[in-house]
Amino acid sequence: MSEGLLVANNLSKFYQMGEVTVKALKEASFRLEEGELVVVLGPSGSGKSTLLNIIGGMDRPTGGELFYRGKSLHRAGAKELTVYRRHHIGFVFQFYNLMPNLTALENIQLSVQIASDPLSPTELLAKVGLADRADHFPSQLSGGEQQRVALARALAKNPRILLCDEPTGALDYGTSIQVLQLLKETCETYGKTVVIITHNTAIAQMAHRIFYLKDGILERIEENQTPLPPEKVTW
Amino acid sequence: MLWRKMLRDILENKGAYLACLVIIAMGVMIFTSFASIVQSLHVSQQAYYENQNFADGFVQVTAIPPGTIARLRDIDGIEDIQGRLVKDVTLWQPENPENIYLRLISVDPNEPNPINGVLLSQGRPLQKSAREMWLDNQFFSTHNLSLNDQVEIIAAGKRQRLTVVGVGSSPEFVYALRSMADIYPDPETFGIGFVPWDTLRTFFPDTDSFNELVFTLKPGAGFEQVKEELERQLAPYGLISIISRADQVSHQLLQMDIDAVESMSTAMPVMFLGIAAVILYITLKRLIEQQRGQIGILKAEGYTDPEILRHYLSYALFIGLVGGVAGSLMGSLLAYPLTAIYQEFFNLPAFTAAFSPFHFVGGIVLSVGFALLAGYQGAKKVLSLQPVEAMRPHAPIAGKRIFLEHFSLLWRLLNTQGRMAVRNLTRNQGRSLFIFFGIMICFAISSFTWSMNDIFQKMLYDQYEKVEVYDLKITFAQPLKQDPVLRELRANPGVQQVEPLAEVPVTLKHQWHEEDVVIIGILSDSRLYNILDSDYNRMEPPENGILLSERLAGLLEATVGTTLSLESPLKPDDRENTVVVAGIIPQYVGMNAYMEISSLQRILREPGLATAAMVNMDQEAIPFFKEKYLTAANIAAIEENGLRLNKMKELMDTYGSMIYLYALIGVIVGFAIIYSSSVITIAERERELASMMVLGMTPEEVLSVVTFEQWCIGVPALILGIPVAKGMMGSFGQLLNSDLLTMPTTLSSQALFLALMVTVASIWIAQRTAARKIRGFSLAEVLKSRE
Repeated sequence: MSEGLLVANNLSKFYQMGEVTVKALKEASFRLEEGELVVVLGPSGSGKSTLLNIIGGMDRPTGGELFYRGKSLHRAGAKELTVYRRHHIGFVFQFYNLMPNLTALENIQLSVQIASDPLSPTELLAKVGLADRADHFPSQLSGGEQQRVALARALAKNPRILLCDEPTGALDYGTSIQVLQLLKETCETYGKTVVIITHNTAIAQMAHRIFYLKDGILERIEENQTPLPPEKVTW
Repeated sequence: MLWRKMLRDILENKGAYLACLVIIAMGVMIFTSFASIVQSLHVSQQAYYENQNFADGFVQVTAIPPGTIARLRDIDGIEDIQGRLVKDVTLWQPENPENIYLRLISVDPNEPNPINGVLLSQGRPLQKSAREMWLDNQFFSTHNLSLNDQVEIIAAGKRQRLTVVGVGSSPEFVYALRSMADIYPDPETFGIGFVPWDTLRTFFPDTDSFNELVFTLKPGAGFEQVKEELERQLAPYGLISIISRADQVSHQLLQMDIDAVESMSTAMPVMFLGIAAVILYITLKRLIEQQRGQIGILKAEGYTDPEILRHYLSYALFIGLVGGVAGSLMGSLLAYPLTAIYQEFFNLPAFTAAFSPFHFVGGIVLSVGFALLAGYQGAKKVLSLQPVEAMRPHAPIAGKRIFLEHFSLLWRLLNTQGRMAVRNLTRNQGRSLFIFFGIMICFAISSFTWSMNDIFQKMLYDQYEKVEVYDLKITFAQPLKQDPVLRELRANPGVQQVEPLAEVPVTLKHQWHEEDVVIIGILSDSRLYNILDSDYNRMEPPENGILLSERLAGLLEATVGTTLSLESPLKPDDRENTVVVAGIIPQYVGMNAYMEISSLQRILREPGLATAAMVNMDQEAIPFFKEKYLTAANIAAIEENGLRLNKMKELMDTYGSMIYLYALIGVIVGFAIIYSSSVITIAERERELASMMVLGMTPEEVLSVVTFEQWCIGVPALILGIPVAKGMMGSFGQLLNSDLLTMPTTLSSQALFLALMVTVASIWIAQRTAARKIRGFSLAEVLKSRE
């Protein structure tokens, strides 16, 4: 067994679509370390989301092995995966997925309730710059604000890994940069492992490592010796 | 192609559509079956009454010579009036422990147009003065008799033989009760015999006159005026009563039942179809929200608005049609067993079950109509959608603060899931209201039907187990002096206790109110007849005072202390007497007044007069006792309490099955509402609920948001269900209350508990389905898509 926060050996995921077998992910091997920022790049249909879902414990691989801190996840049952998501994983989605009838603060509290070692929701809200919007409902917030709430919600559980699926996909440039800055800070200040999935190659400039996916194959992993600060990233 | 899309969409959300379908089918089933029964009852009743010349009025007198009748025919408004002798006799059947009674009615074989003419189904006409009779068909078949059988009766203490030469029925005895104290017709112990007048008169040597008159009215004539004139002219003949057709027992009960079935055949289907319409409306509305994109594409492709509307209406049409056809089919089939039940109670010759094409088609039309209306309401939004707008996702759901949040103390008690649930209640108020209504209906109907069951048992059993606790009741042929009779009865082997009973017909008056009732006179310390208050405490009939049943007190507008005037045909003079109301008691079977027997005798100025005796005795001595007195001229009837109770229990079994049918219907409706709205809620919030699971919540935690919400609605709905059930009992009681029955409107705690169990179980089952759906969420897919 190898050391490292998360270790994947020959991960595969096949879907049966009628008579066709779709190979969404083919024998991907990689590891994630504590406190690093990884960007997964690839065109649509390359298997990015499949990879994220498997890492996030929302889906199980068809083949291969996956270990989180030495524990196997590829054989885990639904209950174990729930516990894994609950205590170790934070998600940020392209479309925020906030609860429409909870306020910003309450949305964060919702995830604090189930965590074992949570962070303060009010502090986090201040951190993402929305202290004065605590009592607003999602419908009263802009897209960027909603995404920042979603980020605070993901962080509130104090997870080891933060998984972000196209976090800036629905945002304009300026707002996107703000969100990316927050993700970078998360990585640095809290020592979290952040995985960002995107098809926006520019974002890769801020990563420690870049995974290139194509047709379900993890083609290469690139080390970035000089990650750019988010504010310098342009597209 | 769109047709196929519709079928697939329906399959995808089969839970909600199935619930809708079931409710529609049940509504239509009730409509088709009951409406066709009502029609058949109506038609056969009308035809029967008309063909057999059913009387408009019934007169009882002590005795009137046949020669005087012709004079009455001249009274303005009377079309025809005929006299007859009516006598109750017992059948001579020493081997049978149960007494069998026949009501013998004199018939004039020469009368060309008899009032209440017998409809002969077998046999031949009666011959003047011959010792022969016709029997009513139910009695005839129940006792496995055949034509030319000999029937032996005891009339005026003498055994007499009559040959059965015909079988028939009379409009007067569609619902043949021996007395007002009976609740249902029982051909095993009671039948009607029609005997030539010249024969019947010889059985009763002291009566050479008629004791009843029946008359028909000219079209447009008023009963009341005729009654007044008759009262005047009949006074010398010991007039006992004049009643109109409307008050005739058989007619009254038949009419009551027709009315009840009729109101059920309209109210229930409307309720059911209404509920189904709401489910259909919600489901379609949601479907259209969901398929905005598809609608946009269809519009962009060039489909016209009516075409798209037609497409969505086809869902409603499909559900309405399938539900309607299924319901009509089931209803047409159900009409047969239901008719059979009614046939057991009602002796209506032409009343049979028949397939009614009108109601079959009517049921389908009704169902399709309701469905299309609901469908149009749910689908009309597609008309206003512009293609571009339609393809754009709709605005996000706006969260709102709710009223409860102003009570911060209370609000803070809730955790975040709790707050979410409570806010959801107001997010879709219509839906919440519908669930509320469903839970309430489920609870109210089941507690109502179970209470009804309890109450019927209570009403009937109490009478024979707690009130009338004697073993035998011996009714005298005419009032007797009590002392020698009681002495004689007491001397029999096995007799433990004998008490006198006076049942005296009286007219009680208070202000302008007037009621004809029977006063029951018993000993003040009676052990065999208990008068009970509502808490089952024994009450002693007061000396000189009168106890009234609640219903009688209501009709007379009398309270404790009210002075009533009292008249009785048994009273020798015409002087009016007064009596003070000493108490009001509940009475469920019959409507009586009670007095201490000697006070009653004093009022009648008949010391020692009794009309019956109650006896408690060893069980094994009963057959011998009955045999001994069966032929006694002074005794009209011997009734055994245990046998009556058994009969009642048999009847309750039939009735019980009807009640369980209603309970089942209530539960299905309630369940369908709870289930369908729960399924819709889950489908609607799929994304939201899935997000919570991604956060790491267990399916149980996610479900708890939904269930908490349901309980928030459910608990108040259950509480409000209690008064609703009470209201249902009240209005049902109104419908049923008569001089025969008074229904208490209390909900039994047992019924409430059972109803609670059923409702909670329905909610629980619906929640299990929700849990299964939640566990089946594909997180990855739900979240990837945009809302």
